[in-house]
Amino acid sequence: MIRHHPDDSLLLAHAGSSLDTGPALLVESHLEGCARCRQVVRGFERVGGQLLEVESGQPLGQGALEAVLARLDAPVRVPPPPVVRPKPPLPAGYNWPRALRHCRVSRWRAMGPGMRWSRVSVPHDPLANVLLLRIGAGKCLPRHTHTGTELTQVLCGSFDDGRAVFGPGDFDEADADVLHQPVVQAQGECVCLAAVDGRLVFDSWIARLASSVVGL
Amino acid sequence: MDAADPLPDNMPPDLPGAGRSRSHLRLVVPTSPSDGAERDQLDDWMVAVATCHDREAFASLFRHFAPRLKAWLWRTGSASEEAEELTQDAFVLLWRKAAQFNPERANVGAWLFTIARNLRIDRRRAIHDTWTTLDDMEFQGVADSGDGQEAELSRRQYDERVRAAMLRLTPDQRTLVQLSFYEEMSHSRIAAHLKMPLGTVKTRLRSAASCLRNLLEECRP
Repeated sequence: MIRHHPDDSLLLAHAGSSLDTGPALLVESHLEGCARCRQVVRGFERVGGQLLEVESGQPLGQGALEAVLARLDAPVRVPPPPVVRPKPPLPAGYNWPRALRHCRVSRWRAMGPGMRWSRVSVPHDPLANVLLLRIGAGKCLPRHTHTGTELTQVLCGSFDDGRAVFGPGDFDEADADVLHQPVVQAQGECVCLAAVDGRLVFDSWIARLASSVVGL
Repeated sequence: MDAADPLPDNMPPDLPGAGRSRSHLRLVVPTSPSDGAERDQLDDWMVAVATCHDREAFASLFRHFAPRLKAWLWRTGSASEEAEELTQDAFVLLWRKAAQFNPERANVGAWLFTIARNLRIDRRRAIHDTWTTLDDMEFQGVADSGDGQEAELSRRQYDERVRAAMLRLTPDQRTLVQLSFYEEMSHSRIAAHLKMPLGTVKTRLRSAASCLRNLLEECRP
């Protein structure tokens, strides 16, 4: 059961397509598994439809309707098969979000005992800072805070960061007000998708060294 | 960061975007109660397109919505040529995907809005597969087919309640919702536009968005 959802302002921005690339990927991944948030977004889209109604209107080019009517019966172009980039394996029983299908995901790389990470490259926005963290059962990330916003979508497993327990499908937003140390629960490893705006600030020098390697 | 500050009275008239004045920061909430019948007519045309491939109904929808859609696309950042192309593409997709239209889940305006928005996202992402996002809509539609509580309330009643919900936001909240949602401005662009700290903008947007969500939930049966 999903207990933690994106903030309403993120869902509103998603409906209006004003999210930056990283947050957009995270919110889309969450929506795939969350009927509650899809319903909220549908409400916001309904507002969008009403606002469209009161646009003053801008005339279309000459013959636009005829041009569109002529295209209606044209043979439907068979869409090329979507380019699905290969991904490293997830623990059994879990699938990659569809939102990531166009993205490149690097192989898992070690960043500490029982901790691995992987870079998610978004083709249309190479600067988007999106990554995957794969942390073993019972392991904990070093205690840290953030200079910007860190969005997290749990793909599998669960962690407790002292504020709450986050399980599969849960979404979290942490900023400079949050100093936390996520601890993965004993039942199994945890894989999270994260979008980071700004940098993570770790307490310990070892973690700072490791984070500089990862680019956080 | 002081969340009690009012929004500036005289906001710059231009939104970012080629230096042209695209913004209309007036309240864009339809206020006439008499347009419910017109919206039912629009949905009826859409149903005729979906069930009978009715080209007359399609042309009527085009005449009603295409200029509005083009105006919205232009005002929110598309060049005039792109706005024209996206509008035409959106209507071709509306015809081809008409069977997916579910009047209990969305009115035709909301559906067209999502089609055009997704087409533009695909174009920006250079995903030259205009079916991708529509397939996503289909995928979500299947997943959500069981929660059709909206069917218990007539479309017109629901739309009127949504409109009333928007009118119950404060003017400041409406401005923020409009900038974030309808003007497609990121939080940092809104902060720059309103000359307010980013944290203040985020705090107020959270409050405005959750107020709108609560009001929309009250609308639902």
